[in-house]
Amino acid sequence: MTIAVAPAVVVERSVPMAGAVELVLFHPPSAVAVNPGQFFQVAVTAPHTVLRRPYSAAWSDPASGRIGFIFNIVGAGSAWLSGRHEGHEVDLLGPLGRGFALDAEGPAVCIAGGLGVAVFPGVVQALVARGRKVTMLLGARTAAQLLPAERFRGAEVRMATDDGSAGLRGSVLTLFPQLWGQTFPPPLAGEGQGGGVDIYACGPTPMLQALIGAARRHEIPLSSIQVALETPMGCGVGTCLGCAAPRRDGGYLLTCQDGPCVRADRIDWDRLTDEFHG
Amino acid sequence: MAEFLDLSVDLGRGLRLRSPVLVGSGTFGYGFDAPQVDRAVLGAIVTKGTTLRPREGNAPNRIAETPSGMLNAIGLQNPGVEHVARVYAPIWGSWNMPVIVNVAGDSIDEYVAVARRLDGVAGIAGLELNISCPNVANGLQFGVDPDLAAELTSAVRAVTRLPLIVKLTPNVTDIVAVARAVEDAGADAVSAINTHVGMAIDVRRRRPVLSRGSGGLSGPAIKPLGLYAVWQVAAAVRLPVIGIGGITTAVDALEFLLAGAAAVQLGTVNYVRPQAAREVHEGITGYLKDHGFGDLRALPIRSASVLTHA
Repeated sequence: MTIAVAPAVVVERSVPMAGAVELVLFHPPSAVAVNPGQFFQVAVTAPHTVLRRPYSAAWSDPASGRIGFIFNIVGAGSAWLSGRHEGHEVDLLGPLGRGFALDAEGPAVCIAGGLGVAVFPGVVQALVARGRKVTMLLGARTAAQLLPAERFRGAEVRMATDDGSAGLRGSVLTLFPQLWGQTFPPPLAGEGQGGGVDIYACGPTPMLQALIGAARRHEIPLSSIQVALETPMGCGVGTCLGCAAPRRDGGYLLTCQDGPCVRADRIDWDRLTDEFHG
Repeated sequence: MAEFLDLSVDLGRGLRLRSPVLVGSGTFGYGFDAPQVDRAVLGAIVTKGTTLRPREGNAPNRIAETPSGMLNAIGLQNPGVEHVARVYAPIWGSWNMPVIVNVAGDSIDEYVAVARRLDGVAGIAGLELNISCPNVANGLQFGVDPDLAAELTSAVRAVTRLPLIVKLTPNVTDIVAVARAVEDAGADAVSAINTHVGMAIDVRRRRPVLSRGSGGLSGPAIKPLGLYAVWQVAAAVRLPVIGIGGITTAVDALEFLLAGAAAVQLGTVNYVRPQAAREVHEGITGYLKDHGFGDLRALPIRSASVLTHA
């Protein structure tokens, strides 16, 4: 694994959806090396902060050496990062951790709750590039907080909002039964081999837990689901042991090394807490 | 080429380091994970706290950032001494850099068993007795009582020929009393300080942020506390003191060396700047050159005779 510690340059800053910021960095080594779902430890120099902040790459373009990050402002670190503009340097450590396993032939369903969408532009692009049929389920509180569907070219995008201002009213999982009943009727769903459907999910822990519950009800094997975990993180490289997530077979896995993207059947969902709020 | 500078440090019982800059326990794993760290400028690695049996560690949340610091309550997650001795030590033996194993336990018997297993194992340069872990049941019991600290140190001393460092906790009324007790009991060096016990509360959820409630505070927030502890301990014992506590820059490290530390350990900064040890090492080198000092012995503000009789 190549881990680079080098300054990247901000080449673009925008607001891709309400409450979020997208920074585009020029950093060819990272743009080339990163796999969808991997993350970087970003140095922030906000007063009184100490630790780097972990951010999944939203997308990368090896040809132009650019890599994008989408985040919302939840604390001093992200506030500092949101104040970076064109020409500013940002210190990246990464890419780190394991991305999603994308190589298969069957259809893929991507499920994003809230800021969990930040990892999916690159994931969808990579899935489409592999010739897979992709359905992108987006959920947010309100329409303005949805990442525009055009960011998921080649995918069928379905939406849900808590206030009903776009798509179905309710959480992103409101879209799930309909999808499973019609687009992927059993027994095709979740066979896990030839024609099986892979699910990729990222979002708040309660959403992931609801997804696991829905999967069990629909008899979808958890081995066909991959989730991008979000936990507190210290070092990002496996030394501090701070990013523990409960393992199904006892003990803990480390989000930074074993994840952040892990198969859902590796997690003890009953012990996974939603303590973290960035 | 400038005049020859000697940055080596003698921590006793043959443990000679080429640099006074070490990386502290729990911030460098067992040396295998940290990216792009130049081992040539490290005085030594001190490993994660190691117990007799493997431990899974505490439930999340284990860490939280606080102003200029971080809290941790990892709970001594480690693979156990057998794995360390059998799998890790042979690899360390090829590194040309000392690896000091941090030893933890719930009882004197456990510490002794771990130390005995590591004695004579090639690749292990020394032991650091962790009598100051605030994040497991009874983790602090040996560190806060001078008599117990001495009893533990004596017991471990009796089963190992390895250089023995005792890591002191600041969570005491009188750190000097504990330092003197472990000196008399046969320690070769002391390191100070481990983390300060603290906590953070999630006001939205109305509960502690860490699953254990409390954790150990590290980082720049505790630097003045560690520095004063080292200042006191260095004046009270003849042993080399390894200074720890929020050291982030070469200037921080120099403060500890001027306070009487023979060496320093970098901790939390390793999470943030993987090259910190190199930067600190080079900064100390530059300081010695600028002041015309040939080695580190010139640094302590108080002379050795003053130090040991203060």
